[in-house]
Amino acid sequence: MTDGYVQQPGSNTDVRVDGKRVAGKIKFNPPGSGGSRPEMADRDMDFIPEVEGGNESQPAGQHLHDKYRTGTSVGKRTPLVDGNAKVTGQAWYGDDVRLPNEIIGRIVRSPHHYAKVKSIDTSKAEALPGVLAVSTGADAPQRFGVLPVTKDEHAMAVEKVRHVGDLVACVAAIDEPTAREAAALIEVEYEVLDAVHDPKKGLLDVDDPIHWRGQYHIGSTNVQKRVFQEFGDRSKLEQARATHHGKWKFMGVNHGFTEPHAVVAHWDSNGRLQLYTPQQVPHYAHRALATVLDVPMHQVNVIRTFVGGGFGGKSDPFPHEMCAAILARKAGRPVRITFDREEVFWVNRGRHPSHIEVQMFADEDARISGFEIDALIDGGGFASFGHVTSYYNGVLATAPYELGSFHYTGARVWTNKPASGAMRGHGAVNTRCAIEVGMDDLAEKLQVDPIDLRLANLLPPHSKTITGFRITSNGMRQALERVREGSQWDSKFRKLPLGKGIGIGCGFFISGSGLPIHWDPNKFPHATVHIQIDMDGGVTVHTGAADIGQGSTTAIAQVVAEVLALPLEMIHVRSHESDTSPVDLGSYSSRVTFMNANAAISAALEIREQLVDAASGILDMPAEYLILNDRRIYSKRDPAIGVSYLEALHKSQEDKGALIASGAYRTPPMGGVHKGAAAGLAPAYSFSAYVAEVDVDVETGLIKCTDVWAAHDCGKALNPLAVEGQIIGSCHMGLGQVLSEQMVYGRTGHLQNPNLLDYKIPSVHEMPNVTPIIIESCDPEGPFGAKEAGEGPLLPILPAVVNAVYDAIGIRINDLPLTPDKVWAAIAKKMKREDIAEAQDLPTPRLDFSELQQKIVQRSSQHGGRDSRRQRSEDTDPYINGVLFGFDPTVPPEDQDGDWKIAVRPTSEQLEGLGLAGSAWTKIEQRKMEDGK
Amino acid sequence: MLMPPFELHHPQSVEDACVIAAGLLEAGEEFDWVAGGTDLIPNYKWHINTKPHVISLAKIAGIDSISLTEIGCMARLHDLAEGGNAHPLVAEAASKVASSLIRRNATLGGNLCLDTRCFWYNQTEEWRSSIDWCHKCDCGTGSDCRVIPNQNELCVATYQGDIAPTLMVLNATAHLIGPNGPRNVLVNEFYQLDGMTRNILQPGEFMLKVTLPDDVEDWIGAYRKLRVRESWDFPEAGAAAAWKKGDRSTLRVATTALESIPRRHDEEVAISNGDVKAICNAIYDSTKPVNNTALPPRYRRNMIKILVKRACEE
Repeated sequence: MTDGYVQQPGSNTDVRVDGKRVAGKIKFNPPGSGGSRPEMADRDMDFIPEVEGGNESQPAGQHLHDKYRTGTSVGKRTPLVDGNAKVTGQAWYGDDVRLPNEIIGRIVRSPHHYAKVKSIDTSKAEALPGVLAVSTGADAPQRFGVLPVTKDEHAMAVEKVRHVGDLVACVAAIDEPTAREAAALIEVEYEVLDAVHDPKKGLLDVDDPIHWRGQYHIGSTNVQKRVFQEFGDRSKLEQARATHHGKWKFMGVNHGFTEPHAVVAHWDSNGRLQLYTPQQVPHYAHRALATVLDVPMHQVNVIRTFVGGGFGGKSDPFPHEMCAAILARKAGRPVRITFDREEVFWVNRGRHPSHIEVQMFADEDARISGFEIDALIDGGGFASFGHVTSYYNGVLATAPYELGSFHYTGARVWTNKPASGAMRGHGAVNTRCAIEVGMDDLAEKLQVDPIDLRLANLLPPHSKTITGFRITSNGMRQALERVREGSQWDSKFRKLPLGKGIGIGCGFFISGSGLPIHWDPNKFPHATVHIQIDMDGGVTVHTGAADIGQGSTTAIAQVVAEVLALPLEMIHVRSHESDTSPVDLGSYSSRVTFMNANAAISAALEIREQLVDAASGILDMPAEYLILNDRRIYSKRDPAIGVSYLEALHKSQEDKGALIASGAYRTPPMGGVHKGAAAGLAPAYSFSAYVAEVDVDVETGLIKCTDVWAAHDCGKALNPLAVEGQIIGSCHMGLGQVLSEQMVYGRTGHLQNPNLLDYKIPSVHEMPNVTPIIIESCDPEGPFGAKEAGEGPLLPILPAVVNAVYDAIGIRINDLPLTPDKVWAAIAKKMKREDIAEAQDLPTPRLDFSELQQKIVQRSSQHGGRDSRRQRSEDTDPYINGVLFGFDPTVPPEDQDGDWKIAVRPTSEQLEGLGLAGSAWTKIEQRKMEDGK
Repeated sequence: MLMPPFELHHPQSVEDACVIAAGLLEAGEEFDWVAGGTDLIPNYKWHINTKPHVISLAKIAGIDSISLTEIGCMARLHDLAEGGNAHPLVAEAASKVASSLIRRNATLGGNLCLDTRCFWYNQTEEWRSSIDWCHKCDCGTGSDCRVIPNQNELCVATYQGDIAPTLMVLNATAHLIGPNGPRNVLVNEFYQLDGMTRNILQPGEFMLKVTLPDDVEDWIGAYRKLRVRESWDFPEAGAAAAWKKGDRSTLRVATTALESIPRRHDEEVAISNGDVKAICNAIYDSTKPVNNTALPPRYRRNMIKILVKRACEE
């Protein structure tokens, strides 16, 4: 317990006997401030779990991290740490980067849907005064793509252009007008090819498929990926008591983020590329840049700027990033490319336009005896994340319900449109909508309440889905119960007057993809976080997690603050540069909170141990007697006996300087062994249930969503403010897809609305009153119990609205978005069919319970007890999908039932009966043709 | 999104404006008028029919007045909607235009002289080149109409202003001025087919103000607008109705956003003997929207029956 530092060792007195100062013994203050408040705050017992003696209740049980809770930050409503920068305009987005001597790049794009590039004449552009570089596909022959298995993109067209807006060439000039003029001077000779616009046509053999995959090409079609999955016993489907058949059409939607793509590329004086870009996944861009530019990865520094919204639309490595780098290398000056909104639509990567057919079956006990899903998704011109999307459209429908069987056929086709890719709720949203509307219809046919039907068919916590996903925490039941109560469901459902309706929808989503796509998870972690603390006491956290507005920086700062009991202002997250950030998979698949916060906790614990050891040494007190609270480490028994954080820090820094720690996260081994078993596999899953209320104008077909009760199980809300923001934001985004947003391709195949006036994102007037309800199921492996909250909350809003519209007008419309013209046409059709003169006389659906209602209420009540015990780990017996159907959970179901199947390829007898997407399996791969077929 | 360069003229008076216009006409130079710019500037950014000269009315004093019987061309839509001085029907229509941000800038004159719109036309230059242009902005190629191919005469772009139908049913008069002096015309007769001609403005002329009849305060009515979002969106269809308080025989109905010009439906009202349903059907029969806005024409045409019915509700 020193009171300051002296220059030389020896006696601590600095005053001689004669009262003069001892030479060389000048006292000076210890470095560091330890925060802005001089006094230590009391421990906030409201944010310390019961098990640790605090007041925070733990209905879902205890957590491994409970003992590291300090009541500092976790669970508190925390404004995002980068909020100030954003509201004061200091945040630097892609187009805010200004480098000395920079010049402007502009991309030349294809005016054709599909064409061979015969020749490109750049001479006129090059001759234009002010033009400093021109480049074409010949400068960058290497292919890239976000997934290693489907690299099918080039920086610019090498042989063919594949959609209107595809990149052909690029120019850089001293200013934008010159660059635009030069772009217009580039002469390209095309040979126009027959374009494919309709994804159904993509299934057919054509002369010139959009891409050619050699021996793996499926026939000579435009099928990029096909999936077949069959699990369970389908033999009982014929005895179903109720069936649902839904044929859906989903229009493609775009992320509609605020910030258009922008990039600045600069080759520095040492010949290293410094690339500034608003990326969700800087590491993939890093890899692709190295490949395309043919330089080693260490010669590229990817600097992630602030990201003005991503939602999946900034997670691919992009050709314009390559173009900027190529132009900058040629010109010897930094090059900036900023997109117009139209270019954002050309690069797209939005949600796939889809044709989805679902058949669903319920047996005499109102159990779900089977889901049969067929999803044909329109990939546009490139693969992007499509390989994964093709799986997700099926496999993410296997929970939260216990299924008797599951059958999925999916196909993704290339068409001559801007590429589809990953968008918030990746691959799960459309099928989920179809499934949840199907549940509503099954409930109606069984004459039971749709919430009770769901409650009676849920997989419990700590169980396995039919395809082998490991579910850990599961707050589905509470979510359903809470929205039922909040919305006063029982007094409204099937009881509201014509034009007013209420509907339910559920969601299920991955919390981090189980498989890092570029490496073996057993050899290299998913996420790594470094922490460094020097004498000043400030904690620098290095992570590659990309904050795209979702608050990942805040979440990581919060968990470090929590473990070290330091105020948030002392935690400085550095995540912008690949030079300083550990390799990270970036912000997609809702992985960041789960994986990076776990890695950050693990690094912070290492630091904590060093600090506590130092304190223990100074205080001569065993470490286990010490607690951390607000910049102090002191005795549990007597807070007066303790040291400040800085003292402990300086003690532990002795002889070695800054404290450094590294933490990593990797997923546990899990999942099945069948082909595609890794798709959809996640260390945890989020669950959600929404109730929506709508007003439908029966004369115009206009739908107004008035209220939403939105319950989402995020495990543990590290920051309830951010979770609520994600829920409300997801409602807005999902409402756009269900009510008004669509990428409209006209009769000539052109995108008719590549601007934000005609691409109709709901305005504030369309926003309902959203009541966010946070469910905390305390995930055993999540950081402090947390799971994702960024994507899952989007899923339920679509079916909740569609089901509410049915409740209001008695018509199911399977064609999203539900624009007023479609609703009006459906009403007019029904009036004609049923000979109704006035729309005001339309009948509304009503519900008379069958005998099944009581049965399922009873069952769900039993399951409620079971789930609560399992959630709290009071019951740790194994549970697999199938127990509801009488299977023994300790024996694989295929060993108990001869009809139980696990198949990833159709048998030849099955080929004929497959759906639209399934018909892709009737084609033969090229390599198999050569075998004499 | 860069506009091509143009010379911006800033007349300080109406006379100045006419002199500048006359000078440019004489020199054979093309030009556009600009008031609030919320219609012209987006089009210029997309390089749609840009001109080398633009004459701004913004610096002319005294042409933004608003009273019950007179509204200057530079009156901002926000002031029309919120100021409390305009006729309630005009204020209602103004309040439904675009967004609050745009209403602060947009003007009455600009709204009445709004360029017609079409999704083959309101696109960037790059986009329009990919469809080989269209005849409203053919860039010298002699292109065909993309809405109705194989006819190269009529432009069917849609007029999507909100305020014109309300002025039509209130029997307002437009006051035009140009190098050849002033002239007055009923708003009802201001518009002229087709989507390229749009109105009767002669080269060099602009709309100075709108006056409403002295008894306009005795007139009541409503404007009903069809749109997907309650902000930003242009009308997909719109209907205004007005009648003299207590005298339904004076009912007038006008529609907008269905054709290249807004239209008052005196004939349809006359043959219907005041029966609103009959009026709706007659207007439905006489209107034929085309597929060039966000919602399909069949729907918009059917909705006009609902909008007219609701506008006529007392």
